Amino acid sequence: MILWSAAIAILVAQFVRVDRSNPAVPGDLSAPPVVKDALERACYDCHSNQTRWPWYSAVAPLSWGIHYEVDEGRRRLNFSSWTDYTSDRGTEDQKLDEVASLIASEAMPPWYYRAMHPGARLTAAERATITRWVADGKSSNASRAGGVSERGAR
Amino acid sequence: MSLKTTAASILSLTLLAAIANPSARAADDSSQLRFHGGAVEPTSLMLPANTPVKLRVTNSADAAIEFESFELHRERVVQPGQTITVYLPALPRGTYPFFDDFSHGAVKGEIVSR
Repeated sequence: MILWSAAIAILVAQFVRVDRSNPAVPGDLSAPPVVKDALERACYDCHSNQTRWPWYSAVAPLSWGIHYEVDEGRRRLNFSSWTDYTSDRGTEDQKLDEVASLIASEAMPPWYYRAMHPGARLTAAERATITRWVADGKSSNASRAGGVSERGAR
Repeated sequence: MSLKTTAASILSLTLLAAIANPSARAADDSSQLRFHGGAVEPTSLMLPANTPVKLRVTNSADAAIEFESFELHRERVVQPGQTITVYLPALPRGTYPFFDDFSHGAVKGEIVSR
């Protein structure tokens, strides 16, 4: 009886659809290829408009959780809209600091994402490269006047 | 033209220029937020639409705050006693919520562009 109820609940849940669209990319982050590749593998599914939606992202209730993660991820940090941050250098610096800090501490990408996407795992060398790139970019930006970042985006 | 008339003309033209120039409005003391004691003032800040603004954010509390707005794409930590400048682009008319992320959203307000 319980199994039947669960099966029916899961079946009904499929009618609650979520948005799996990818909006346009207005201004993607500009970074050296080795950094960009690592960020795309490890971060872009949740933190960009270039999300890869696997087949199970259409199956409820898993789809609800994945949609929430992507929606929240894009709100907090979106590499596809990087130009929105660069018009305030302080914001860009802070975003990059958080990226470096969370990647260095292995808090990001989350363990459950890494478990399902082994290719998203970053090596120690990749984490160090990203951290170094962030530090180099900030010291470069600091030498310029004004509040608008010169780091730019493509 | 007498000296008094000349001075009055210059003053009138200066006032007209200040009113007509939105940047002048944006640069005055109305473009600021102050966080203190678990609150923010003002909770609703009016800014001119379609005009870049330098927003001053002051933290008068004892602990750091994080000024954040998803809609404005801005995120800045402000240490106790510090005032920072947040550059806002020309905003279309609308309402843009912001919050102190360190307060887990308890302290919040909005910027109204019109």
